[in-house]
Amino acid sequence: MKKLILFFFLFFFVSTVAAKEIIVCHECEISSIKQAVELAVSGDTIRIKKGLYKEYEIEIIGKSLTIIGEDYPVIDAEMKGTAFKIKADDFSIEGLHIKNIGTSHTSDNAAILVSRSKNFSIKNNRLSNIFFGILLERSENGIIEGNIIRSKARSQANSGNGIHVWHSKELIIEDNDVQGVRDGIYLEFANNCDIINNVCKENLRYGLHFMFSDHNRYLENLFENNGAGVAVMYSKFIEMERNLFRKNWGSASYGLLLKEINDATLKHNIFEDNTIAISADNTNRIDYLENDFISNGYAIRIRGACYKNVFRRNNFLANSFDVAYTGNINENEFSRNYWSDYTGYDLNKDGIGDVPFRPVKLFSYLVNTTPEAIILLRSMFIGLLDFSEKVSPVFTPAELVDPQPKMKKIKW
Amino acid sequence: MKNLLYLLIPVFFISCSTNPQPIDYGKDSCDFCEMTIVDRSFSAQAVSKKGKQFKYDAIECMVNDLHDHSEGMAIQQVADFSNPGNMIAVEQALFIVNDSLKSPMGANLAAIRKESSIASPQNAHTYYWNDLITYLLEKDSLFGIE
Repeated sequence: MKKLILFFFLFFFVSTVAAKEIIVCHECEISSIKQAVELAVSGDTIRIKKGLYKEYEIEIIGKSLTIIGEDYPVIDAEMKGTAFKIKADDFSIEGLHIKNIGTSHTSDNAAILVSRSKNFSIKNNRLSNIFFGILLERSENGIIEGNIIRSKARSQANSGNGIHVWHSKELIIEDNDVQGVRDGIYLEFANNCDIINNVCKENLRYGLHFMFSDHNRYLENLFENNGAGVAVMYSKFIEMERNLFRKNWGSASYGLLLKEINDATLKHNIFEDNTIAISADNTNRIDYLENDFISNGYAIRIRGACYKNVFRRNNFLANSFDVAYTGNINENEFSRNYWSDYTGYDLNKDGIGDVPFRPVKLFSYLVNTTPEAIILLRSMFIGLLDFSEKVSPVFTPAELVDPQPKMKKIKW
Repeated sequence: MKNLLYLLIPVFFISCSTNPQPIDYGKDSCDFCEMTIVDRSFSAQAVSKKGKQFKYDAIECMVNDLHDHSEGMAIQQVADFSNPGNMIAVEQALFIVNDSLKSPMGANLAAIRKESSIASPQNAHTYYWNDLITYLLEKDSLFGIE
């Protein structure tokens, strides 16, 4: 026991003595970050003072360092390559402003590249005019928090992703603000990640993009005016809650694109002013609970091979089309939703309409087969067609009904 | 009526052209996976004999989309990885599979010109168009199996 205490004492003693702080500034003894990294050993802190540092390819291999920027020192990579390349455990990078990462089509230049690392944090950095922002590969257990990422993908039509995660797991991506890149946050083969309270705006392709990534959650994020808000593709067990999808507007634009995904839940999300709020293709066992669909072109467009999807207690408010459907009903269920287009009555006053609601309009069926027909939207003729179809459904799937439409908007 | 006829004449000419329309990067979406096409190094496109345009964000998407009806295509071309933005006909392309090529749908696949200086067909992971189809469809790379 005594030996153990002595051991711990010695360990503590040694580790406190060994950890030193290296200060980098233009007038200091050490004036470049590269030099500081070379001098540092595991456990050291590198404190970078305000100033402009024209450096790139800063490699940190096998050293557990804490890098802190004071008043956002600027690291200018001068379009020459990756700024930081890190392969180490237990490191952190905080408070830097990294800019001018050159685009390339053969190598993925990034502001911060993290490879085969564990237990790290990348916090409160500013990245501007970048190709890739934070690129993680084969890493786990990291926190990426409070970073502000800006680039000009829209004008250049050539860009990498803001936060790019590949073959990694157990990451927390929180409070980041990503604008003007290809995909705001991109996950490929990434499992058990939490993506919380981020803002993804004006990105060229997607705000958030999952490929082959299972068991992830994204909560309380804002996706606005991206090519499409979120794309979830070829993934399983994704939880999507309390997100806001706004103004994803354009001919190939979606709020949320679901493609080949299984066992997911969508709860308490708001979809507002999107061309297509949700497009679902090959999705199985998805629960849509208590979401709001407000003023979208299409609220939900279901394409082929969707099985056992449940839509319950959602609000459909003033969408041009509430539901568009291709193919069979396939055990999908709509119940107890509120539809602003519902014109039925409630004689027994139990809050549930006495007449079932059919959310698929004949016209949406027409538009599906002949997209050009959309110019007839809101014409009287179409109104008549829709009405007659409502009375006696011929073309629209007869089973696709909400048998218990709510009379009042659902509060959740 | 006559005016209408004039209006329609150009339509007849336009509709049957099998010239590939250039891909509008950042706007067009893939006809197979629906992703917006953004990367000039990995895209692909096809035009059917009747003039219908198909555009893809990745070569693997084109292969998977067209493998059962590719005989109806007048044109099939893929992006030249060594010269992004330029397209090459599939017959003139050499396809490379390598982990460092991060193509959009996870097949790690890109194309270059056969006669290009970096093309070395001895390499085990290069394919010509016909072999590529067999390779991709056997591997089923689109569904997350590396």
